[in-house]
Amino acid sequence: MKKFINKPENIVPELLEGLALSHPDKIRLTGSNLVARAVPKTRGKVGVVTLGGSGHEPGLSGFVGEGMLDVSVAGEIFAAPGAPRCLEAIRLAQYGAGVLFIVLNHAGDVLSANITMELAKREGLNVKMTLTHEDIAGGPNPEDRRGLVGFLPVYKVAGAAAEEGRPLDACFEIAERMGRNMRTLAVAVQTATHPSTGQPIFELGDDEMEIGMGQHGEAGTGAMKLKSADETAEIMLEMLLKDLAAKPGEEMLVIVNGAGATTLMELFIVFRRVNQILKAKGIKLARSKVGEFITTQEQAGFQLMIARMDAELLRLWDAPSNAPYFVVR
Amino acid sequence: MNGGITKDDFARMIGGAAASIRAQHALLSELDCAAGDGDHGGAMLRTVERLEKAFAPGGPEDLKTCLQEAGWSVLGADGGASSSLLGIFFGGMADAPACGAPAGASDLAAIFEAGLAAVRRQTKAQPGDKTMMDALVPAIAALRAAADAGKSVTEALHDAAGAAHSGAEATRNLTARYGRAKFLGEQTRGHLDPGAASTGLMFEGFYRGLGESKGESGNA
Repeated sequence: MKKFINKPENIVPELLEGLALSHPDKIRLTGSNLVARAVPKTRGKVGVVTLGGSGHEPGLSGFVGEGMLDVSVAGEIFAAPGAPRCLEAIRLAQYGAGVLFIVLNHAGDVLSANITMELAKREGLNVKMTLTHEDIAGGPNPEDRRGLVGFLPVYKVAGAAAEEGRPLDACFEIAERMGRNMRTLAVAVQTATHPSTGQPIFELGDDEMEIGMGQHGEAGTGAMKLKSADETAEIMLEMLLKDLAAKPGEEMLVIVNGAGATTLMELFIVFRRVNQILKAKGIKLARSKVGEFITTQEQAGFQLMIARMDAELLRLWDAPSNAPYFVVR
Repeated sequence: MNGGITKDDFARMIGGAAASIRAQHALLSELDCAAGDGDHGGAMLRTVERLEKAFAPGGPEDLKTCLQEAGWSVLGADGGASSSLLGIFFGGMADAPACGAPAGASDLAAIFEAGLAAVRRQTKAQPGDKTMMDALVPAIAALRAAADAGKSVTEALHDAAGAAHSGAEATRNLTARYGRAKFLGEQTRGHLDPGAASTGLMFEGFYRGLGESKGESGNA
């Protein structure tokens, strides 16, 4: 393994320190290494909190900022943070209108979140939890679908609604509506190494790719021979459009998220083909983002996300944000 | 061992579990590579370190408080699903009325059963799903059976360790239905589940930790 790290056990605190120091006007570390906004939200607004393992930078803590998250709880490498720190984050994000707790559907995160919700209720805290689960590789049952890059539009629209001063029920409804209307598929062509152990997290042949692979290299639908950008985009987009039951005339948000080692060059080539296919089908590409929002070390591959947008979701997507890794002016 | 079970006895059990995990953490990470992210050993090291701290000399003297603190501390180990469930397990033990002044194997079984009940409130996983439950459930059933048969605490822990080990070994032939590994489905067959393996190691350590201090250790 060739990585610029110091002691493996210090990776998480050191990366969080670096993240906060690189944007001191926007975010700070507080309490037990929680990433919070440097200038807290005004009272009377809903707080927005998330949790997740580290090693996926800039996800998830890079999206703390005005218009998005209030507090992010980062766990160890690829491992969910425990309930005590999540509870601390929820207490911190209480500005008098309750907290929206956004959780990506992964076993460890959900377990921590459920325990946190029980503890928060016992304290009488006003919290609503929304689960993102949009990875169609998990099968038809929503419980089996993992939360991938779809966290990004959910943070964005729910965060914008909270910033506008909408009540908790409305923020929750917006997050759920965004969640219901998005679908993601991932493809991997090369493994990541676990930065603490130095071991590869999955095996894939030199000439192979795997569609449906999760954020931590959890296997998907099986390895297949490596295909061109166009062929890969066609296979994945067809599956996504079918699952979403997308119709001509609908407005879509498209995100192409690089896994860490796939170049922007490749992501643009893929996006170009996605654009052509949508055009041919009469589906409107309303908004798009191409880049790295959640990565897995030097894993190569990408996630393709599509989401059906309505006028309100589009307005909230366009609202300002100063989060270090998602600035909207 | 006949008399009551003290906080110090529990501390010895925890110490034994920590020694077992420390000896085998690399193997646990290796097992985790087959279906997870390959760091279960690291997560378990953080977990046992926190358990030991909660039972360290100078801490609270009563078992209930120690278990509560241990549970809370393990929840905060940030080790994903395994440390959340183990935190719930140890914290849940504190809910057992027998915690007040545990007298023998039957009370020890009741304490472990309270921990298991708390875990079951958080996960729907059952034995057969290829998770830690494959080791935990038979271990606690064996503890109860030994207690009912009038065995000593050390003998009961010996039986529990054996059942946990067999349960963990049996996961080799199972298909994962919970956690990250479920996405691998049939591909998980042939691999030992790391959570079941670490639970097996902990129970072996509970037995050795207490058995050795009482000079009763045999082959677990």
